[in-house]
Amino acid sequence: MAAVVLYPAAELVRASLSRYSITGLHQGFVGLANYGRLLQQEALPAVVANTAVWVVSVVGLTIGLSLGLAQLVDARFPGRRLVRWALIVPWAASLIMTAKLFAWIYDYYFGLLNRSLTGLGLVDAPVDWLGDDATVMGAMIAVGVFVSLPFTTYVLLAGLQTIPGEVYEAARVDGASAWRTYRTVTLPLLRPALLVAAVLNAIYVFNSFPLIWTLNDRNPGFAHDTMVTYMYKIAFKSALRDVGLAAALGVVNVLVILGAVALYLRAASVREAEA
Amino acid sequence: MGRPRSRRAGRTRALGSRRKYRRGPGGPVRLTPCSPTRGGPGRIRIVASPRACLHRLSSALLLAVLAAAALGLAACGESGGKPSAIKVVIAEYSKDHTRPFWQGLAEQYTKQHGTKVELQVIDWNSIDQQVSTMIQNNQPPDVLNLNSFSSYAKDGLLHPAEDVLSPKTREDFLPAFARGGEYQGKLYGFPILASARAFFYNTELFARAGLAGPPKTWDEFVDAAKKIQALGGGIIGYALPLGPEEAQAEWSIWMWNNGGEWQSNGRWAIDSEKNVQALDFLAALANRHKVTQINPGKTNRTDGAFQLFKDGKVGMVMGFSPLAAQLDAEGKVKYAVAQMPANAGAPVTLGVEDYLMAFKRKANAEAVKRFLDLYYDPANITRWIAAEGFLPVTKSGMAQMSGNPKLKPYLDALPDARLVPTTDPTWDKVKLDVQQNIGRAVQPEGDPRQVLARLQQNALAVAGSGR
Repeated sequence: MAAVVLYPAAELVRASLSRYSITGLHQGFVGLANYGRLLQQEALPAVVANTAVWVVSVVGLTIGLSLGLAQLVDARFPGRRLVRWALIVPWAASLIMTAKLFAWIYDYYFGLLNRSLTGLGLVDAPVDWLGDDATVMGAMIAVGVFVSLPFTTYVLLAGLQTIPGEVYEAARVDGASAWRTYRTVTLPLLRPALLVAAVLNAIYVFNSFPLIWTLNDRNPGFAHDTMVTYMYKIAFKSALRDVGLAAALGVVNVLVILGAVALYLRAASVREAEA
Repeated sequence: MGRPRSRRAGRTRALGSRRKYRRGPGGPVRLTPCSPTRGGPGRIRIVASPRACLHRLSSALLLAVLAAAALGLAACGESGGKPSAIKVVIAEYSKDHTRPFWQGLAEQYTKQHGTKVELQVIDWNSIDQQVSTMIQNNQPPDVLNLNSFSSYAKDGLLHPAEDVLSPKTREDFLPAFARGGEYQGKLYGFPILASARAFFYNTELFARAGLAGPPKTWDEFVDAAKKIQALGGGIIGYALPLGPEEAQAEWSIWMWNNGGEWQSNGRWAIDSEKNVQALDFLAALANRHKVTQINPGKTNRTDGAFQLFKDGKVGMVMGFSPLAAQLDAEGKVKYAVAQMPANAGAPVTLGVEDYLMAFKRKANAEAVKRFLDLYYDPANITRWIAAEGFLPVTKSGMAQMSGNPKLKPYLDALPDARLVPTTDPTWDKVKLDVQQNIGRAVQPEGDPRQVLARLQQNALAVAGSGR
């Protein structure tokens, strides 16, 4: 435990207090100077905003869609097993391969998406999905949701299956409509599963590097980076080339995600107590 | 194309560090092997070798250490404290040729000298990160292949050429490439291979547009691009890649062919009038003449501009010999290669030189020297460079390869090719700044003058800070 969690964490903190040359050579300790410089980075506000939009949208949309999908694959219908298997596929594929695949689907000249949309007459001219500042984030969020759906759906499906049939029977006897049953019986009983899905997804989506790195690799600057890809760019791909500064952002990233999860769990437990 | 595999790996491997370097008057001094206080019984073998450490020990300790060293030598039966293995890190130029060649070279070396080789072949996308991690962890390679060297020389990490290359090898380098590996007048970055850009044009599209030959001036270039673009059907005049992947290369070519420079009189001159004029020209190609692909500031070279040219959608592109090899293999596009269109003086192309460098590690100079001399043996270096489709960096290689008709346009261009200022450690950061920013200048709302002014300001700040 100490070796796996504490040692890298301690190393990260130590690196964040250090000054490095561009080659990675340690040049001594600088106290909290890297944190001060981090706050002065011009790109930081946009990067933080991107991160918030990215995490909230992907987690929110994923959970919304997964609720429907979980309900679907929970129902009995012929070929259910096949649908359940198909649902796992995007999860089993590597994120880099998925991202590359979508980069091709979104491509302005060769992409399937533009060809379909223009073919159906939905858009007049092709769209540069990954190059147009207005569409990049949306395009990335769609892929983020796509790869998060399987896990979330399975967590919610497991939750659905723990709800005993008698409760539904009681609701039916009371004459509740389907929608009312869903709202007052299913959703409250799904709360533990929803909690797990939300927290794990938030951590996973926040930390998601390969999707944004691959889909955003053509765009100059930091206008569409999240805190995780920005950290990598600070360390290796920008004029900063500064491992110490990147480590400072790494520490901030860990604290942000811990803080967000703690807040969420507290809010959830308060609601639980009230309920 | 491998991207950094995961964020977690990136963070813990890249940012984790152990502080074992201490800055001393002669650059960083490695503490562990020299410090007598750490020399427990388990360390006897280590103390046997480094002459540099001995003067730091008191004479009493010296005796003890020598005795221990003798024991250590007797115990492990090694001669002269040469390392039992050297670590060699090579960038992956191609899946087919890079590893097989270096693996073979390593085996040959081990057979001849008994020293083992720990070979690591790393893809270009993650090599900067992995090398940085090695240095943070005080485990630099003995031999490293990279596209930059001067920051390592500046940090005092490298052997100069006279310590690790035989005179015969040193004298064989083509002078321009040897100069491109000098830091403060000494050769630290040994040329490993070279490439040169050339102007590629689609002869079929040129014929359809009624163009007689490749454009020689910028006016002719714009005219040709317009005529090709006018063919319609999604055909593009010129594929301009100013996205982050290799923007500095594309930009260098246009800048130089307008008479501009990266530096003049040893000072950065990124925002000179000529450079502003050149970048205005590129912005006009994109936004006024509209003869480029969409969003050229957000198009990378390999999977953007080259892909479009390979698909026959583009009239002109700046390519290099590996692109020619792919085009020949696919056989889909009829193309020809010409000199760059110039707006001032004779056409200039970009030469790119990659480096081998030798890190100072305990008593490794002899072992490294033998390895490097083996690589620079004309039979080895030329075989590999030819297999990868690159250009020679040695006189002997030039003589051997000049008969190859496929390479003729590049070899002809090589003597006049210009290099980016890799000899200045500031360049390593300027290059990244250019990659991340120059694309913004050719966006519809972009401002070339302002982008260049900002790059200039940052370059001066980096040069001034000495970091």
